Amino acid sequence: MIPSAFDYVAPSSVDEAVRVLSEAGEDAKVIAGGQSLLPVLRMRLAAPTMVVDLGKIAALRGVREDGDALVIGAMTTHYDVQRDQLVREHAGLLALATDTVADPQVRHRGTFGGSLAHADPAGDLLAPALALDAEMVVRGMDGNRTVPAAEFFTDFFTTALRQGEILVEVRIPKTTGWSAHYEKFNRVAQAWSIVAVAATVRVDGGTIAEARVGLTNMASTPVRATAVEQALVGQPASAETIRAAAAHAAEGTSPPADGNADVAYRQHLAQVLTSRAVATAAGV
Amino acid sequence: MTSTIEPEVGKARLRKEDARLITGRTRWTDNLTLPGLQHMAVLRSPMAHARITNIDTSAAREMPGVLAVFTGADLAGEQGSLPCAWPITEDMKAPDAPSIAVDTVNFAGEVVAVVVARTAYEAADALEGIDVDYDDLPVVLDMEAALVEGADLVHADLGTNKSATWIFDSGEAGTGSDVEQAISEAEVVIERTYRQQRLIPAFMEPRAIMVDPTGEQLTMWSATQIPHILRFLLAAQLGVPEHKIRVIAPDVGGGFGGKLQVTPEEFLTFLVARRLGKPVKYTETRSESLQSGHHGRDQIQKLTLSARRDGTVTGLKVELLADMGAYLRLVTPGVPILGAFMFNAIYKFPAYRFVCTNVFTNKVPTDAYRGAGRPEATYAIERLMDELAVEVGMDPMVVREKNWIKHEEFPFTTVCGLTYDSGNYEAATAKAMDLFGYDGLRAEQRERRERGDTVQLGIGISTFTEMCGLAPSRVLGSLSYGAGGWEHAAIRMLPTGKVEVVTGSSAHGQGHETAWSQIVADQLGVPFEDIEVLHGDTQSSHKGMDTYGSRSLTVGAMAVIAATDKVKAKAAKIAAHMMEASEDDVEFTSGTFRVRGTGAEAAGVSIQDVALAVFAAHDLPDGVEPNLDSEATYDPENFSFPHGTHLCAAEVDTETGQVRLRSYVCVDDIGKVVNPLIVEGQVHGGLAQGIAQALFEEAVHDESGTLTTGTLADYLVPSAADLPSFTTDRTETPATSNVLGVKGVGEAGTIASTPAVVNAIVDAVRHLGVSDIQMPCTPMRVWQAIQTGQTDAGGLGDEAGGGLGSIDPSGGAQ
Amino acid sequence: MKLEHSFTVPADLDTVWQAVLDPERVAPCMPGATLTEVEGDTFKGSVKVKLGPISLLYKGSGEFLTKDESSRTVVMKASGKDARGNGTASATVTVKLTADGAATNGEVETDLSITGKPAQFGRGLIAEVGGKILDTFATCLASKLAPETTPAQAAEVPKLSVVEKERSEAAETGKEAGEAAAAHAPPPSKPKLTVAGEPETEPIDLLSYAGPSVLKRAAPLLALVAAVLAFITLRRRHR
Repeated sequence: MIPSAFDYVAPSSVDEAVRVLSEAGEDAKVIAGGQSLLPVLRMRLAAPTMVVDLGKIAALRGVREDGDALVIGAMTTHYDVQRDQLVREHAGLLALATDTVADPQVRHRGTFGGSLAHADPAGDLLAPALALDAEMVVRGMDGNRTVPAAEFFTDFFTTALRQGEILVEVRIPKTTGWSAHYEKFNRVAQAWSIVAVAATVRVDGGTIAEARVGLTNMASTPVRATAVEQALVGQPASAETIRAAAAHAAEGTSPPADGNADVAYRQHLAQVLTSRAVATAAGV
Repeated sequence: MTSTIEPEVGKARLRKEDARLITGRTRWTDNLTLPGLQHMAVLRSPMAHARITNIDTSAAREMPGVLAVFTGADLAGEQGSLPCAWPITEDMKAPDAPSIAVDTVNFAGEVVAVVVARTAYEAADALEGIDVDYDDLPVVLDMEAALVEGADLVHADLGTNKSATWIFDSGEAGTGSDVEQAISEAEVVIERTYRQQRLIPAFMEPRAIMVDPTGEQLTMWSATQIPHILRFLLAAQLGVPEHKIRVIAPDVGGGFGGKLQVTPEEFLTFLVARRLGKPVKYTETRSESLQSGHHGRDQIQKLTLSARRDGTVTGLKVELLADMGAYLRLVTPGVPILGAFMFNAIYKFPAYRFVCTNVFTNKVPTDAYRGAGRPEATYAIERLMDELAVEVGMDPMVVREKNWIKHEEFPFTTVCGLTYDSGNYEAATAKAMDLFGYDGLRAEQRERRERGDTVQLGIGISTFTEMCGLAPSRVLGSLSYGAGGWEHAAIRMLPTGKVEVVTGSSAHGQGHETAWSQIVADQLGVPFEDIEVLHGDTQSSHKGMDTYGSRSLTVGAMAVIAATDKVKAKAAKIAAHMMEASEDDVEFTSGTFRVRGTGAEAAGVSIQDVALAVFAAHDLPDGVEPNLDSEATYDPENFSFPHGTHLCAAEVDTETGQVRLRSYVCVDDIGKVVNPLIVEGQVHGGLAQGIAQALFEEAVHDESGTLTTGTLADYLVPSAADLPSFTTDRTETPATSNVLGVKGVGEAGTIASTPAVVNAIVDAVRHLGVSDIQMPCTPMRVWQAIQTGQTDAGGLGDEAGGGLGSIDPSGGAQ
Repeated sequence: MKLEHSFTVPADLDTVWQAVLDPERVAPCMPGATLTEVEGDTFKGSVKVKLGPISLLYKGSGEFLTKDESSRTVVMKASGKDARGNGTASATVTVKLTADGAATNGEVETDLSITGKPAQFGRGLIAEVGGKILDTFATCLASKLAPETTPAQAAEVPKLSVVEKERSEAAETGKEAGEAAAAHAPPPSKPKLTVAGEPETEPIDLLSYAGPSVLKRAAPLLALVAAVLAFITLRRRHR
């Protein structure tokens, strides 16, 4: 398991990283924790000529508040996201989903931004980012631009990031006081989600005032279960209404099929798990 | 002087090898290095069956650091054939088994070229410089299709895909009556087809080999379970004089049967190092290990059980198809045969017939994997006993009890002709039922069913036995196995009174160093700390049959004890001389020789005193050589038969098919226990592996013969997070076949747990119309079974050719 | 393994037959393809497949076995190897066109295999990108084969349908997953075909590299690639 030889560059600033990437062209790869890239390199399914390590850029780490939003640096490790009080308070869904990522070793190495940029539809942080209406702050040679999560994930392992751009931080509108649950379904603890559901709701006087539901591994990108959200809002937070709303969970999905689950089973799971996720989030 | 008052045997000692193993002071083969060491990398065929039309190595030879590139053509003249030590029938078909393919590849992962370079990096890079052209040949994956007249052939020259058919019939053998008659006269007949999916041993340390050809002997370090057998077979197959070969198994990180092999890579590293005259090392990657190390299980079991309406069994017919893969490795053909004697298990079947057909396919060869033949057999019979219970409307434990051998009936000769020396199934079962809370769980199960709970509860039983302590040499001979089943040991008494124990057993994680030290401490009355166990090097331990089949304690340790007996006999003569007493008047207690009748407080001569006296040799009795060292070779007269009762409570989420094991209780009877901590570890690990077969693991091939579970992200080995907390306990019925009364525990958990889990899952959803679910019982399979209410649900593998993929989905349904 | 697909194009038989053999209309639809050499009825080329961090370069060679205008049947055989030794792909592809009123039906029979690491690697993801590439290719092809149809119109009325025979057979064999699931879950939605004005993935090197005569020979290779990817898609969806 030895990768092909590559040049290794560890820039100390975002500007330097962007410049190096732009100059290196398409055969350069960004490493942002390496928990997905390294296996691919070691299996020689990819042979980039250069690997640009963002791990030395301190500015890309950390969580801060910015008005109504929480800003999470792209290179913040899962472990740091998990134990961050601001995240727990203002983006509870993300904290809960991060708890389920792989195993402790991976959570200490892997990063939030790395996961999002890798855009594996089975990754556990994409659906929460989508459900929370996160915005991706992207830096290229032309400066910053902001891409909403709904436009960021474009396909399997494919994002709106252009050649030479890096994801620098993620702005997440606060959902303070909302309750949340991430319902993950897999066969062994360290495995990818077969299906998972990210749900966060604001319950007001027994009524679901707002609801966001994101689905993991139900298409080539994370998807929002908008029909479920619409069916929930304004309804009493009861098992019956939640179950009825969750019946819409598979609408508009086109899940993959593999040895663990075929399409029909994944769509069935989406409904069951959505019902459970929302019910748990709503305290029903 | 320390004398051991409290016996060491039975103490829960921490393992003496662990401090070294967990603090990085290990000597795994890959950690070792030699001056001028070169590194080998292996190019493997992506094709499962193809003719090699051309190999262009020119670019690779020019790459930096590359010393040599070898193809099959380069080594054809000297590679011989990999050995198969178990020709189960006289007419068994066995293809030549090259280490490196010469003109044809027969499974995906077979070696087609090797590179030797200065560094492992350069060797890996150079693999990309080798260009191989293949012409496709038809890929044979399905055993039943492989046996059809006119089927595509794995080995065209053999003219068939059938390697051998092996039959045992109790009517013909005179050990029982005729099974066909029993079936035709039966009040109840249960017919089922079960599938033992292909599994991968998945030991922790990938296999590694280093060969030094520069000395007088060619020395091979290998991560193997069998250094002695490996040395013999290197000599026998490659034509190297045996005394010119030394094999060392340094620290070896697990095997589970997966390192009970003489591998292509061992032969190739040996040949290449010899050719180059330089030390060469090869370490496989995890994916290579999964893809090309031998696999286990992979059988289709067609079963017919006959019984009376009252639940009494009258006959059992077993028709197996066993997937050999593309070649016959060391004991490939014999693995299913080991199961032949275990299908009848603990039950008093009057009639039995076993027919096994071994089949070639274009997959990696199968061979020993923890339990080897016995888990498959235990699964079949324990699943059938549940089916019988349903058919006759009895509690599954009551049906078992009705049929098992009662404790007063031992020794009991079974319908296969084996004599079970001891056991007490009633005692183990009573204890297990009590710990489990059987009646309470049954009540909860009824309540959940009535309530229509989305989570249903099931209870699974497995009352198992196994044959351990492989094996009496004469029995192996009668089964046409190519070697004996003895073990060798030696004791070296050092002048300072310390002891070296040389054992032919080859530990690879079991804790032999600790257990042997405990045993020898008691035997010789020396402190535990004063004992060093030497193993795994044919230079120090020149003779042995190595470690597999739960044989180390029941066979290997008996040789150790026999050697200590000889030491004591020699020492007694000298001690008597030292005490100026007659040898007949000397007795040996807790390390000290005393004159009989003088009491424990009387002065005596310690065995350490004797050792020093022998070293000086100034004053020894006439005709006595100055040497206490002794060796012994022990050949068992019978197998040992551990048994136990395992109970599993499984919750099945009927909305998702997810299975959660709620509780697992096992009460094992492994006879006398040397170290309860080691036993506990073996049971826990064994349970994890057996449960893994029931729920998680499966080697899946696509229609091209590519292993699609070729990483640990896809081949799901469970961790502690996926398993319940185990409740373990024991009963103790000593074996009568050895002086310690021990039976062996290495495989018990693996053998017993698989059917317990599947029985529990099926029990949870049987009221929904389900009578079987194929292993592994994935959530999707369980959910589909519940949805369809099928009697034999779960379907085939996910793809054509996936796993065995050849059972008629409706086959076996009643 | 044998696979069958069919497609319908809103154009008459002669037009489609010519179009199928006219790489100038076919070639640009295939993402990542490069043709390097044509000699007689044999050809060499490569296809680059990218999936996130995974990057494979299949170098292939192949040949025309049959080009029978009377039966409107083309048979080609080709095989490719990943440039870093990660595995192989090989296929025999038979394409047969028949008239269906004003439209033309195409039957594609493929016998092929994919081996090595791409078939092994995590969750069969390479198959997913294969499916995407095929969707892009096939939809683009349909729009290009339909004469006097603007891409916009093609997008509105996508006539291309890929019939997955294996899937329907599997369903007929009875109590399999699909049927059981149908009672409890909504039917799987069809994968969306997005008509791409430009291929989404890789730049096409083909046109800039090869002249017309070379392009003519490129069709079989491209069809092979399409078939390979179609196979991957089918295989993927069956699991």
